[in-house]
Amino acid sequence: MIRTLSGVSVVALLAVSASSASAQDLMFPKGEGDFSWAALESFAASHDYTGEKLMVTGATTGDDAERYRTLYAYFTDATGAEVEYSGSESFEQDIVIASQAGGLPDVALFPQPGLAKDLASKGALVAVDDAMTDFMTTNYAAGDSWKQLATFPGSDGADHVFGLFFGTDVKSLVWYVPEQFEEAGYEIPETQEDLFALSEQIVADGGTPWCIGLGSGAATGWPATDWVEDMMLRTASLEDYDRWVSNDLKFNDPIVVNAIEQYGKYALTEGFVDGGPSAAASTDFRDSPDGMFDFPPKCYMHKQASFIPIFFPEGVEAGTDVEFFYFPPFASEESLGRPVLGSGGLASVTNDRDVTKGFMEFLGSPIAHEIMMAQGQFLSPHKDANLDIYTSDVQRALGEILTTATSFRFDGSDLMPGEIGTNAFWTGMVDYTTGKPAQQVADEVQTRWDAIQ
Amino acid sequence: MNPVFQGLLTILIGVGGIFAYFVLSNMLLDKVLFPAKGPNASRNINRANLIRPWLFLAPTIIALSLYLVYPVIGSFIRSLYNRSGDQFIGFGNYSSLIASPDFRTAFMNNVLWALFVPAVSTFLGLVIAQLTDKLSWGNIAKSIIFMPMAISFVGASLIWKFVYAIDPNLGIINAIRASMGLNPLDVLQLAFWNNFFLMAILIWVQTGFAMVILSAALRGIPEETIEAAVIDGANPFQIFMKIQVPQVTGTIVVVWTTTTILVLKVFDIVYAMTGGNFNTQILPSYMMQFMFRDDGRATAVAIVIMLIVTPVMIQNIIQARKEMR
Repeated sequence: MIRTLSGVSVVALLAVSASSASAQDLMFPKGEGDFSWAALESFAASHDYTGEKLMVTGATTGDDAERYRTLYAYFTDATGAEVEYSGSESFEQDIVIASQAGGLPDVALFPQPGLAKDLASKGALVAVDDAMTDFMTTNYAAGDSWKQLATFPGSDGADHVFGLFFGTDVKSLVWYVPEQFEEAGYEIPETQEDLFALSEQIVADGGTPWCIGLGSGAATGWPATDWVEDMMLRTASLEDYDRWVSNDLKFNDPIVVNAIEQYGKYALTEGFVDGGPSAAASTDFRDSPDGMFDFPPKCYMHKQASFIPIFFPEGVEAGTDVEFFYFPPFASEESLGRPVLGSGGLASVTNDRDVTKGFMEFLGSPIAHEIMMAQGQFLSPHKDANLDIYTSDVQRALGEILTTATSFRFDGSDLMPGEIGTNAFWTGMVDYTTGKPAQQVADEVQTRWDAIQ
Repeated sequence: MNPVFQGLLTILIGVGGIFAYFVLSNMLLDKVLFPAKGPNASRNINRANLIRPWLFLAPTIIALSLYLVYPVIGSFIRSLYNRSGDQFIGFGNYSSLIASPDFRTAFMNNVLWALFVPAVSTFLGLVIAQLTDKLSWGNIAKSIIFMPMAISFVGASLIWKFVYAIDPNLGIINAIRASMGLNPLDVLQLAFWNNFFLMAILIWVQTGFAMVILSAALRGIPEETIEAAVIDGANPFQIFMKIQVPQVTGTIVVVWTTTTILVLKVFDIVYAMTGGNFNTQILPSYMMQFMFRDDGRATAVAIVIMLIVTPVMIQNIIQARKEMR
């Protein structure tokens, strides 16, 4: 009896899991709210993959992965194809192994395009078809920048577009506490010159302007690379930035050394950083912003990407207790416009099937972006996505920075070869912050780059 | 399939399968191939006994060559190829390693680790084993000292991160400095000495191991030798140095070499504490920087590590076998 009972319950469990997979309770009921439901309807009308199954892998796990599963439910609802998503913390290694040993998924969500470039050259990725090549150019803000970022040589040596960007972070941000600025009478700086003057003003008033934290375990140093990249965009042309990323402009070129020193103007100036440069080098980037919320504040400003609010102390509300401003350009370099540094995930096809093509089209539709935006923690450069969907003003303002940018450049260290972008550049910045001269650091990184055979 | 169920099934197939292999192959040998009866019974028994060890060793030999010998050879071959693995470059990876200042730093740091950590943890282990031997609360002290052995290296690193924290409210070093009116200091950024602060973590973990093994060895010394020394008027220090230590030398060597092998493999501590920054890189964490990016170099570092470990390991095995006799 017990045996049959447990047998029944297993069947029941299977039935429950199957029904939750097929019936898909949709998080946002269709037809309600400001979503672009029409896009979903027309997509559903033209695509039918009933009974098909799709494997998607990515680096997001936990709650973040659930947000993606919520989205995929709409794809299933529209086309009948089942989507199985599996996220892994070691996605970067897994996908390389899968590309060599077999077992690639249908679609892979790369957290940064550098790795996709490697795999594309080995023939593991499938380029989008002609109809989709210009998709990002027409539909994304600063779309050409996005398209360029997804264009690499395939195994045939010719350039193709490999997938589309889905989900972005904005990096050119300075976070501050409005209440403290008001109390001290500080204005939001509009230029780099003003920002530096403000930092000096804060020191003169007896405060400390910056909290900088480079600590991140084995990845220690990466926050400083964001500083340097933002400085590159503000002191050099976009062409120079791109040439720097591909090493056509050498890492020890005076242009790059200057950008490093521009970062040093903030990080190394006596009294500018809470605890001094050596504390900056070892303070964890997650703990670093805490100083802004102390009383009296340990620092007034913190430069970090749009994801940082999840590491703010509990009870701090982004938008009311803490605000951000755009890391300003130099008044002396007006021709460079308002560049935005960011990062983003690239969705690429790894298995050429009809259903995967349909899935990419779905990811390109405004409704897919809106469903992710509505769940928070997601920014989209998609022009047709309704900004009202954003769940907070902060998110909306971030989205606006993205859609009003004159140019967008990707986090350079994510595009450089792994040894440089996720190693030599990081450790070089730690060395610089703890006292090595910029030229020597840049020379060492370049030597390392030359050593890549 | 449910992962738990999958795991159970794997254990069942694995353990049951290997059990069935031993029983069945043995039966096949004794009953079918060389039956211990009939006209050639004694010859058959002899032959069966010649084959049996190989039969029983076969699974181990196959598994070891598949999972140990093949990867070593494969890694060596891979280390002769370039970054993408499609071009043979001879010993190019090795020569560029030797030319790289980072590699030399990592190598020299590793030499420091390999000399300092085993020496200190064996010394402390021996002294503690002797001092706690006759104490009434000696076993409690030993249990506490042994406890870090149960903590993973990453866990131990996290604990020591607090010890070394710059914030005087967290870190004991900076708390002491603050009480003396000194400025907080990040000991992990102190050039050269930061290596020793990292080694302290491994010594903290490994001392318990040395202590337990050496304590057992000290207890195994015949009482008569010590009594004779006492009658001859030796003082406790002389007894320890001239009577006890010489008798446990073999064990000391085993503990020393075992710790050395461990030191040459450890990468977690450096990886978690400094990520190799501030000139604290050691070979295993240096290798990690290249893994999955430039496998040619990563395997070259792996082979270098293996070459360093092998003599220590051979010494260790020779000594252990001597002890067994």
